Amino acid sequence: MTGLVGRGVERVDGRAKVTGAARYAADNAVNGVLHGALVMSTVARGEITELDTSAALASPGVVAVYTHENMLPLTVPPDFPYPKRFIPLQDTRIHHNGQPVAYVVAETLEQAQEAATLVRVRYRVAPPTALLADALDEAFLPRDFRGRPNETVRGDAAAALERAEVRVEQEYTSPMQHHNPIEPHTTTAVWDGDSLTLYESAQGVVLTRMVVAQAFAKYVLEQDIRVVSPYLGGGFGAKGPTWSHTLLTAAAARLARGPVKLVLTRAQMYTMNGHRAEYRRGLRLGATRQGRLTAIVDTSTAQLTRTEESIYNTSNSTLHLYACPNVHVRQLGVRLDLPTSSYMRSPETTAHFGLETALDELSYEVGLDPVELRVRNHLPAGPPASKYLLECYRMGAKAFGWARRDPRPGVTRVGDEYVGWGMATETHTYNAIPSFAELTIDEAGRATLRVASQEIGTGTYTVLTQVVADGLGMPLDHVTTLLGDTAFPAAAISAGSSTMPSVVGPVSTAARNARDAVVAIAVADPRSPLHGVPAADVVAEHGQLFVRGDRRRRDSYRDVVRRHGQAVVVNGSGPNTPGHSFGAVFVEVRVRPRLGAVRVSRVVAAYDPGRVLNHRTAHGQVIGGVTWGIGFALMEHTVVDRNTARVVNPTLSTYLVPVCADTPSVESYFVDRPDPASKPALGARGFGETPGTGVPAAISNAIFHATGRRLRDVPFTQDKLL
Amino acid sequence: MTHDPVPERSAHTRRTVLKSTAVAAAGTVAAANLTSVAAAEPVRTVAGGGPVEITLSVNGQRRRVVVEPRVTLLDALRERLGLTGTKKGCDRGECGACTVLVDGERIKSCLTLAVMRQDTEITTVEGLARGERLHPVQAAFIRHDAFQCGGCTPGQIMSAVACIDEGHAGSEAEIREWMSGNLCRCAAYQNIVAAVADAAKEVRR
Amino acid sequence: MRAFGYTVAESPADAVRIAAGTPNSAFVAGGTDLLNLMRDGAQSHDHLVDLNHLDLARIDMDATTLRIGALARMRQVAEHPEVRREFPVLSQALLASASPQVRVMAAIGGNLLQRTRCGYFRDAGSACNKRVPGSGCPAISGHNRGHAILGGSEHCIATHPSDLAVALTALDATVHLLGPDGGRAVPVADFHLLPGSTPQRETVLRQGELITRVDVPRTRAATRSRYLKLRDRASFEFAVVSVAAALRLDGRTVGDVRLAFGGVGTRPWRDTGVEAALRGRELTEAAVSAAGRVLVRDAVPRDGNGFKVELVQRALVSVLGELGGVR
Repeated sequence: MTGLVGRGVERVDGRAKVTGAARYAADNAVNGVLHGALVMSTVARGEITELDTSAALASPGVVAVYTHENMLPLTVPPDFPYPKRFIPLQDTRIHHNGQPVAYVVAETLEQAQEAATLVRVRYRVAPPTALLADALDEAFLPRDFRGRPNETVRGDAAAALERAEVRVEQEYTSPMQHHNPIEPHTTTAVWDGDSLTLYESAQGVVLTRMVVAQAFAKYVLEQDIRVVSPYLGGGFGAKGPTWSHTLLTAAAARLARGPVKLVLTRAQMYTMNGHRAEYRRGLRLGATRQGRLTAIVDTSTAQLTRTEESIYNTSNSTLHLYACPNVHVRQLGVRLDLPTSSYMRSPETTAHFGLETALDELSYEVGLDPVELRVRNHLPAGPPASKYLLECYRMGAKAFGWARRDPRPGVTRVGDEYVGWGMATETHTYNAIPSFAELTIDEAGRATLRVASQEIGTGTYTVLTQVVADGLGMPLDHVTTLLGDTAFPAAAISAGSSTMPSVVGPVSTAARNARDAVVAIAVADPRSPLHGVPAADVVAEHGQLFVRGDRRRRDSYRDVVRRHGQAVVVNGSGPNTPGHSFGAVFVEVRVRPRLGAVRVSRVVAAYDPGRVLNHRTAHGQVIGGVTWGIGFALMEHTVVDRNTARVVNPTLSTYLVPVCADTPSVESYFVDRPDPASKPALGARGFGETPGTGVPAAISNAIFHATGRRLRDVPFTQDKLL
Repeated sequence: MTHDPVPERSAHTRRTVLKSTAVAAAGTVAAANLTSVAAAEPVRTVAGGGPVEITLSVNGQRRRVVVEPRVTLLDALRERLGLTGTKKGCDRGECGACTVLVDGERIKSCLTLAVMRQDTEITTVEGLARGERLHPVQAAFIRHDAFQCGGCTPGQIMSAVACIDEGHAGSEAEIREWMSGNLCRCAAYQNIVAAVADAAKEVRR
Repeated sequence: MRAFGYTVAESPADAVRIAAGTPNSAFVAGGTDLLNLMRDGAQSHDHLVDLNHLDLARIDMDATTLRIGALARMRQVAEHPEVRREFPVLSQALLASASPQVRVMAAIGGNLLQRTRCGYFRDAGSACNKRVPGSGCPAISGHNRGHAILGGSEHCIATHPSDLAVALTALDATVHLLGPDGGRAVPVADFHLLPGSTPQRETVLRQGELITRVDVPRTRAATRSRYLKLRDRASFEFAVVSVAAALRLDGRTVGDVRLAFGGVGTRPWRDTGVEAALRGRELTEAAVSAAGRVLVRDAVPRDGNGFKVELVQRALVSVLGELGGVR
């Protein structure tokens, strides 16, 4: 081992990204490509009665206009990861406002966009229901989603609550939110006979291929579909599932007999690719006077649609984080005439915001420090998994200076600002998905890793290159990692914090296998200085192979493979198990109550993600997650018109996300001890979605500490603080 | 008390940018011979709205391109000149991913028409490095891990080059305010601030 | 965006002549709002007249007046040393606007002509009386957190988004226009129209008329002026509520005060009654609060924007407190 894993090496794809050389999905120059543009419904519920495409067809440069009358018939994929239970342009039904009703193909982008404004549509309209508040009496318990039940009972929560010495019973609410990656969703579809290539903005090329194969079952075999996505300009869950624009573009290209490129407009990204659903959460905590939890009753109500009933923002932390014998979780839903919701970065934040705010309320009820309350309710991990959450509390509190906190609300002022300190536990589930990798050592002694994983900004290229270089004993710059192509061995979707736990194992195995294969060739080759040495005695470092204890007797990857006469190609695989990562976040806010202004002035966070494979990229996930938490708490809010069920703010000047000036510098700390339960991934757990999960609650708790005002409805805008 | 409409700082800005683009052009002489064209008279009027050939000066090269008046500078760069380093995030000036320099000043290329920029010197992210040598801002972005997915990065970098040149990189707080026209959804903001501060020191040297 | 023709104007008179003679034409300078309005389907034009080659970008000041050419860019004005010294509120309002990139591009004339950010107006799929007269105003019964509490009508409650216009309104600026029939000058306070029953008419500009210059009188109050902008994020965001204030104190007595408000009115909001309530009085929090009550006496709050009634009064107290040293 040369010890690259664990070090904060610079990103290997850095140069490509800072020079503009990195090719994102919409950057490919495809000969003769036609441009697509979508026409969207302006009603939420009803039926198309009349659709006139004549003006659009007569517009300059227009090649075709596809509607339900002439679109290629497709098969609705059966299940997630195609969240919608329908494909647009297959019939006249309108399920939500901003649903595609026509697809224009033209020679230039401008021509397609202009023609899209010329399609005339008439509808038979039924009144929509847009808000949870307007349909709460219709809440029901949806059927299991992805094998998980929506009701879980442990002990007897109702009875325990009844007997509890202290109770906190409150409602916590959060609005619809949108992912808003900087890169819009895009598909370029190229048919060559009956094979299809998609240049796609996808967090999961393998699953995209599967969904496209399901939809095009009548036309193409899965093995003849290639999905390419070497760089992704941000996904955050929005590009995890496959959405209808991908299917429609592939269909349009088939009908138009030419490659078609579609880039969604920013406004279309508010109805086409999922969102974090609006939620209401009733939480009832029961505890002893010493602050031990005796009961949690967690009843949430989420927005669903009339076509599906998927619950994405699960109450996992209520079930798994703390030691509480009596828990009752119910995840209800209400059908509304809105687009389909889906996963959005750190989906468990929605539930966790309520739990961690309620715990802060409990800490004041029982007169305990919020950290001490959480320590008293700590639940150790079941073997073999590790859980160093108590260390996180200690590290974070120490670095923040938490011990100096005066618990009384509203007593600390600096100038005209009130200062508040709040904290919360951070935690998220991660997934582990069977993955495969292929590693080639060529005659130049260079290694090339091929794996159909993705670079979504989290550092996959960099970390996998570190793992390969370490496993082989090769310098970092002798290793090339290739990602995002279904031509490579199948690997996990980059979602659910699953990349590292799923892919590092197979890659590490491939590296070990490759090293062993090359060593075996060397020791068997009479021309090698290592000939006859027991393989176990050969050490690999910096691309050199030598005998342990005798560095003069050496060979190299290059020379061994060159003499061998052909590249050495090996594979790696191996399963891993899902789990949870943990942390604690400490936040300082400054509030000007007179003007309702809140800013986050300081954040310190400490984490247990198992082993840290790269401190830079791990820190990157922390600053990203914390900023998402700030956005969640203070500004993000998709507004749906109550009467029309239409998104009112589908732009980045009206759907606000944090800018540079909103964010403080975040200090991060890591326990950095391997988790035995994630041994294949070198002790690293999935981590990306843990940071930020506690931030909205920590901010709410800090605002309470600053002002004595308890806010339970995000975002905490001026009007709620006046 | 009459003042020249162009602030004096702009003169300095233009000089530094032209210097770098001149070197970039010199480094790609062969390519320049293939693609550069003799200076053509700028097109001053287009009746109707049909396509017209104009000349844009991008990264030190004069390039002919056929556009309708409605084509934005961004779409001219990306879809017609093959310069896809400049990104389209929102197509309405609200994200900053399409930031380029025009005569040394930062603008959002989605909010301007290509025909309006015929007499200007345009610099995109592809024009910053001198051969293999990265611009100090590019190098600082790698050093400080000032990006994740990279979708906003070309715009951040062009904005940062201008931010430093304007003299708005004096403190962390100043950088935060003057880099707030560029959204980073991965939220690498604190690393961007560190990179800009670091690069500013180097550029001033 | 539909296809349009394009002409570069060589002189202001040339621009006016082309625009007046070309049906459905529009001027373009920075283009930072116009292009979005055309993308949004809120406006569509057959021809654009490019003003960027006109000699209208100068900023001059003499003993009585600051003259800002209509093509001066936001950045130029904001950074101009005399603007910063003599009219801090102008510089602050500009620097609190948009983003550094847009401030490089956007011209002062266009800034006054930018149109509301009301989500219904900007969405061709929604009804809007301003965009399609007679189609209705969904904001009144829908989402109106950002909308006006002052100056609205049953047809429109959209706010005017310009920070600069608020500052210029406080300073009694004058807008100079050149049209086919010659030039005229309009006080900026009269330049924007109340929506009434014709919300599609937003300014007094006639077809083919061009803004050439904005004049701002020099006053002692202007040298002691401030722009307070409250918004939902720290930067790059329109005002929820803003106040432009200029103040001259004689001892503790208000000698002169000029106030205008953003985010609360259907146009940059000036109410001389508020100033009258302060002029000649001692500057105390009680006096400012009383003046604030004058400001909101006719306010019509809706479901989502009622908080602005309170917030704008507090903003007034805050900004005059800072300017006048009131504790």
